[in-house]
Amino acid sequence: MKILVISFLLSFVPSLLTSQTIISGTVTDPKGIPLIGANVYLDGTYDGASTDEFGKFSFETSEVGSQILMVSYVSFEPFNLVKNVSEMKDLKIILREDVNSLETVTLSAGSFSAGDNSKISVLKPLDIVTTASAMGDFVGALQTLPGTTTVAEDGRLFVRGGEASETQIFIDGIRVFTPYSPTANNVPTRGRYSPFLFDGITFSTGGYSAEYGQALSSVLLLNTIDEPVQNKTDISIMSVGGGLGHTKKWEKSSLSVNATYINLAPYIALFPDRNDWIKPFETMAGEAVFRQKIGDGLLKIYGAFDTSDFELNQEDINQPEGVHFKLNNQNFYTNASFSEMLNNGWSVFAGGSYTYGKTKVGIDEADSKDVENSAHLKLKLTKRFSNRFKLNFGAEQLITDFDEDYTEPLLNANLGFNNNITSAFTEADIIFSRKLALKVGVRGEYSEMTDEFTISPRTSLAYKTGKNSQISVAYGDFFQQAENEILKFSDHLEVQHAQHYIVNYQYAANNRIFRAEAYRKNYSNLVMYNDSQPNVDTEFSSNGTGYAQGLDLFWRDNESIRNVDYWVSYSYLDTERKYKNYPIQTTPSFVNTHNVSVVGKYWINDWKSQVGISYQLASGRHYTDLNSPGFLQSKTKSYNSVSLNWAYLISPQKIVYASVNNVFAFKNVNGYQYASTPDANGNFARRELRPSADQFFMIGFFWTISDDGKDNQLDNL
Amino acid sequence: MQTVFTYLTIFFTVLVMQAQTKTASDETSATPTKYEKGMVEAFRLWEEGKQWDAANMFERIASAEPDNWLPAYYAAQINVIYSFGEKDKSKLSEQLAKAQDFINDATTISKDNPDIMVLQAQLYTAWIVFDGQQFGMQYSQKASGLYEKALAIEPENPRVIFAKAEWDMGSAKYFGQSIESHCKNVEYAIELSHNFPTKGKFYPSFNLDRAKKVLAENCH
Repeated sequence: MKILVISFLLSFVPSLLTSQTIISGTVTDPKGIPLIGANVYLDGTYDGASTDEFGKFSFETSEVGSQILMVSYVSFEPFNLVKNVSEMKDLKIILREDVNSLETVTLSAGSFSAGDNSKISVLKPLDIVTTASAMGDFVGALQTLPGTTTVAEDGRLFVRGGEASETQIFIDGIRVFTPYSPTANNVPTRGRYSPFLFDGITFSTGGYSAEYGQALSSVLLLNTIDEPVQNKTDISIMSVGGGLGHTKKWEKSSLSVNATYINLAPYIALFPDRNDWIKPFETMAGEAVFRQKIGDGLLKIYGAFDTSDFELNQEDINQPEGVHFKLNNQNFYTNASFSEMLNNGWSVFAGGSYTYGKTKVGIDEADSKDVENSAHLKLKLTKRFSNRFKLNFGAEQLITDFDEDYTEPLLNANLGFNNNITSAFTEADIIFSRKLALKVGVRGEYSEMTDEFTISPRTSLAYKTGKNSQISVAYGDFFQQAENEILKFSDHLEVQHAQHYIVNYQYAANNRIFRAEAYRKNYSNLVMYNDSQPNVDTEFSSNGTGYAQGLDLFWRDNESIRNVDYWVSYSYLDTERKYKNYPIQTTPSFVNTHNVSVVGKYWINDWKSQVGISYQLASGRHYTDLNSPGFLQSKTKSYNSVSLNWAYLISPQKIVYASVNNVFAFKNVNGYQYASTPDANGNFARRELRPSADQFFMIGFFWTISDDGKDNQLDNL
Repeated sequence: MQTVFTYLTIFFTVLVMQAQTKTASDETSATPTKYEKGMVEAFRLWEEGKQWDAANMFERIASAEPDNWLPAYYAAQINVIYSFGEKDKSKLSEQLAKAQDFINDATTISKDNPDIMVLQAQLYTAWIVFDGQQFGMQYSQKASGLYEKALAIEPENPRVIFAKAEWDMGSAKYFGQSIESHCKNVEYAIELSHNFPTKGKFYPSFNLDRAKKVLAENCH
């Protein structure tokens, strides 16, 4: 208002008494509510004013002819009007809400995001390393989210009644073919990749974008850091091994390298487990990310190599002396991608990955050696028409070449296949208003091996029901070829199919999030076979079917109790399948009907410590009791585990970390192994399948050395 | 974890007065240009507590002076300063997004400018203060990096030395480490400020009163 007074006074000064025009009007939101303090001005001039408490503005200008009137106001889309100044009178300007706002509805059905700063994130990046039961494994942290199933002896992600192989992992949008380290029976695996190289994780338990294919149940999207902040060296010394990381930054590029070595021999010597180890687990892994800015584009090259080696005698009820098992695996993965913003709202992404995996397994007298060479190529274009409309389309090629040499004393077999899949996808993102958003896409895939073409429509819709709550729904068709373990015996199987229907409710406010999601999945074309284990003589078909339905609940609260952050997940899962060699449709053995996870973290300021606790409860799993009629008719008792961790900050750069899994040493039984022949009384003897160790301890020391001595371990908490 | 940043909150809420000290003397120019009149007016509005009218004024000046980074810098600074203490996440993010746009404009006009880098670091600090647990990890490293970079460009700029010393004090105090070296840096900044040349009219200036206050409250 002051400006108005002054310009009014100035207008009496003769030299300024040139033809002055008054520009006036009101600014409101779409509902007609006046906007106070909006900035209204003629572009490129000093002439303008802020709106008053009635949304009114009025100012003078000496400009003549056609001019651009600009209106800007925080959280609304900028407005401009080209008109002759003489006609800019009593303007009624209605600003549109900026949909690039946190207030805008998000397509949340089926998907959890971690670490995305602009939208609601369920997990924070540091949760990966501070969740007591996760032991620094990103997969372990995701297993505390609803929709996952507790299969303690496996370690992989089982999502909503799907097998672990139905979840695909992508790094920077490019497929990872062998995400998990191989392990012995009954020893859980870990994700191969270090959580510190990623800054964004999206975990989708269904209904995901048409950009991702060959996954029946779930996708996990990991994004590597675009630009590291500074040069630093990380040293870690743990009771089971050690690691060394270094990041170097240049003007337009940067390189991060990371090496880890794990050897369980000393640990097993101190705390022997149920296995009779000949050569305890030993693994060496190296990872590197190189990033280079080229013009407005960014090139990222990621490479990871690891080798694992172990040998043991495993208990077996049919073999009193145990089963001799040895494994040697070498795995190399590289991934390169280039993304660039072009003109006129276009952007391009091109990338590819190559995997080389060699696994030698020896089980008693049988030896197998398999070599997998796989590649993924992808090109994606995005056109942003406006903040409210975006179109994606792209094409992909997946190539797998698998070879296996199998030798037994009396048998020699050479198995293998080539599997090429070509796909194309397109998807539109439409934001109608802050309340309503829609994503519609379609994906087509052609498999050369089975000469089959599939079309998968995908769609999701979100509607905001209140300031902090929203409902979203999703539907999609998903296709995935059978696993390598099947494809190596049969090349005529149809592609497996799942349909997802999801309804999601989300409430998020003041560091509290509540999510409830109900879903239904229909499976068809699942692989069936007529032997206990697939082999060269097995007959396969694609007649398997199944369904999964359930309810997932999630609550996270970082507000109510000072210095305490906790979340609770509950999943109810009802699923049955007739697949593999099942004689009837029933619930598979990897399924728990009820799953509960509680994770808590408490920061004790005086001790400079964070203590964490996590509790996992899963109802019993099905197994076949050979001593009574039926198939998968009995249930184990429920699974319980409480884990604790403690992190103590010695100084900003040094941290001591200790964790114990299953503190109370609950005796968990994952299933039973029955003797193949009955004893004299006609009874089949059985053996409990228990974890190789009930408990696991870890102590570690982590030290970060950075240029400015500021980058600290606090960030890792 | 959050406590580490409450120290920082205290530091930065007082920033408000930083930019306004020199304006009175600038008004004495013989024949003020449109630009000078506009800037004086904007600072006057700010001093009267009408910071959003001032921000609008700076935005208008920025549109009329596409080659001058100062109006965009001040428009950004107002949006950053008044984000400290904002509890509504969506409002905070919109305000800081607006500030970021102005910082980007200012950076395009004036590259490798230590004052803009310090402001960018303060924008990150606003996020950290809002939720240290969520944003501490990604932004504290970035902010530290910017202070380093700004200092490398102008090792004798008292404003940069002072802003960095305040930032460093926060984490040192938290870890019970000595803040002596940071106090020395504040003293050094004060000493340098007497001879550090003002680069031009309406340029950011060193806030001596605040530096003295920080020194008195924390160091002796």
